[in-house]
Amino acid sequence: MNGILLVVAYLGGFNPARARLSVPETDGLRARPGVLAAGSLLAFGAVAALAGWSGPILEALETSPETFRLAAGIMAGLTVALFIVWPRPATEPELAGWKAALWPVAFPRLVTPVIATLALSTGASDGVPGSLIGAAVGLVTVNLVGLVPRRELPDRVLLWAGRMTAVALMITAVFLIVDGIRDV
Amino acid sequence: MNRRLAVHLSVWIAAAAVMRIVVVPAETCPPVTAGQVRNTIDEALGWIIDNLGDDGRYLYGYDLAADRVSPSYNSARHAGVTMSLYQAYEALGDPAILRAGDRGLSYMLDRITTHDNWAAWSEPGADLPVGANGLLLAGLALRRRATGEPRHDELMGGVARFLVQQQEPSGAIRSYWDRAAEAPVPNVYGPFATGEAAWALVLTGVQLPGEGWLEAGLRTVDYIAAERDRAEGYLARLPDHWAAYALGDVPFEMLDSDRVFLARRLAGYFGMRLRFEAQRTGEGINLWVRWYPGPPAGVGTAGEGIAALHNLAVADAGLGDLRANIEERMVCLAGYMTERQVSAAEAAVLPRPELARGAWFYRGYTQMDGQQHVLSALLGALRVLEGEAA
Repeated sequence: MNGILLVVAYLGGFNPARARLSVPETDGLRARPGVLAAGSLLAFGAVAALAGWSGPILEALETSPETFRLAAGIMAGLTVALFIVWPRPATEPELAGWKAALWPVAFPRLVTPVIATLALSTGASDGVPGSLIGAAVGLVTVNLVGLVPRRELPDRVLLWAGRMTAVALMITAVFLIVDGIRDV
Repeated sequence: MNRRLAVHLSVWIAAAAVMRIVVVPAETCPPVTAGQVRNTIDEALGWIIDNLGDDGRYLYGYDLAADRVSPSYNSARHAGVTMSLYQAYEALGDPAILRAGDRGLSYMLDRITTHDNWAAWSEPGADLPVGANGLLLAGLALRRRATGEPRHDELMGGVARFLVQQQEPSGAIRSYWDRAAEAPVPNVYGPFATGEAAWALVLTGVQLPGEGWLEAGLRTVDYIAAERDRAEGYLARLPDHWAAYALGDVPFEMLDSDRVFLARRLAGYFGMRLRFEAQRTGEGINLWVRWYPGPPAGVGTAGEGIAALHNLAVADAGLGDLRANIEERMVCLAGYMTERQVSAAEAAVLPRPELARGAWFYRGYTQMDGQQHVLSALLGALRVLEGEAA
């Protein structure tokens, strides 16, 4: 996967517009920046761990990186369907204070099955640095979208932006599946 | 909160389970040594040679459940097994293998037809098939490469002329020559005959240079690369292991980008096929999502195809970056096919041990091309394992 596709994959996986619809907010209807940033760091750490240990993990699973690319592609495809059919994530109860960075920001909003499979796949096939750059771009975008107050950015725009991001993820899904089939 | 956590964890667990069971079951590659693979090869050779008839005809097939020998026979498979014996002789150097190959060859020599300036064989009365003659010629070229003997050069030229007169200007190969009409059967092409003819002509071109056979073979290789699948109406690109053989024997300096592209595409197909095969256990829920371990001929063709392309990876002729993966797939195949072969101990308790020992069965039935293709694939894996050990 080239660098652009890596970025598209993580942007699509994190889906900043959709994630924006379900993160803790201030009274001014902005995402709580500290909590969102801390949650993003936790998610980044999860991607780093999974990508970094992707080799031993896939070895333990007795799965080649080429075959696991199929799994990542199929998971991405299923996630696209979820994003399109269910564009607004469920509202989650929030842990108090900074713990909200853990729940619901890092989990379940940012660290999702598609992000986990992507991290394992790209870590094994494309290297850890590329995976981290892709994840960083996605998470920075999550935080930037979080700065915009919801009242100026109607839900409808976020919903459609989320769907459009899902289409971008679909491109990655197709690429991963085709690559997983054609690779040696 | 706890309820939401349970919901999300359930989704994760369900997703992981579905992925594991349906998409990425474990790829099982039993560890195997060069010595074990050599033994597996010897056992397979034993099945072929010990069951070879006095007339040079091989045992075609054996149904274990019915304890019945198949009365069928097939000229392309006969030529294919003979070719495989010459491959084995070239790799192992055992004169008994060469003698067995020559007995298989004599069966074909007894059935040669000559016409105009060419020669070809078939079962009596049948139209002359390109596939069986392509494999006869490939076998003769391999025999010449292994022994250096020119004794069949004239026949090689005759069969090569038969293949070339079946060739259209595009490089397409008409599959049969009609005895009654004394002409190639028009508009009939085969999924395998084209690649078999291409490989045979390339091999012959290398053995008998300056006679135009290499150029003729490359014409068909290029046809396979550029237009065969569309022109002959295939929905998907054919995973043609014979084309892989042809590419593996083309002099490296003649591998242009289109030929390398075909080689990479074929390597990808064979790699995927072998990864998929390694996921098959034939037991429990795996049986429902992956079905039984594949027919030996199918697994073997993927293995020999990728083994043929291994030449290009080793020589860094466009496939150098794929070498590690290609070797991993070849050795993995050697591991699971060694496990799946009927051992002497397993055969001893069967009704007719000599028909089962050294064979690979698919759902209770074994056939000569199963042994042939797996044998050819294992010869490639043995080369890799011996290289690792050295």
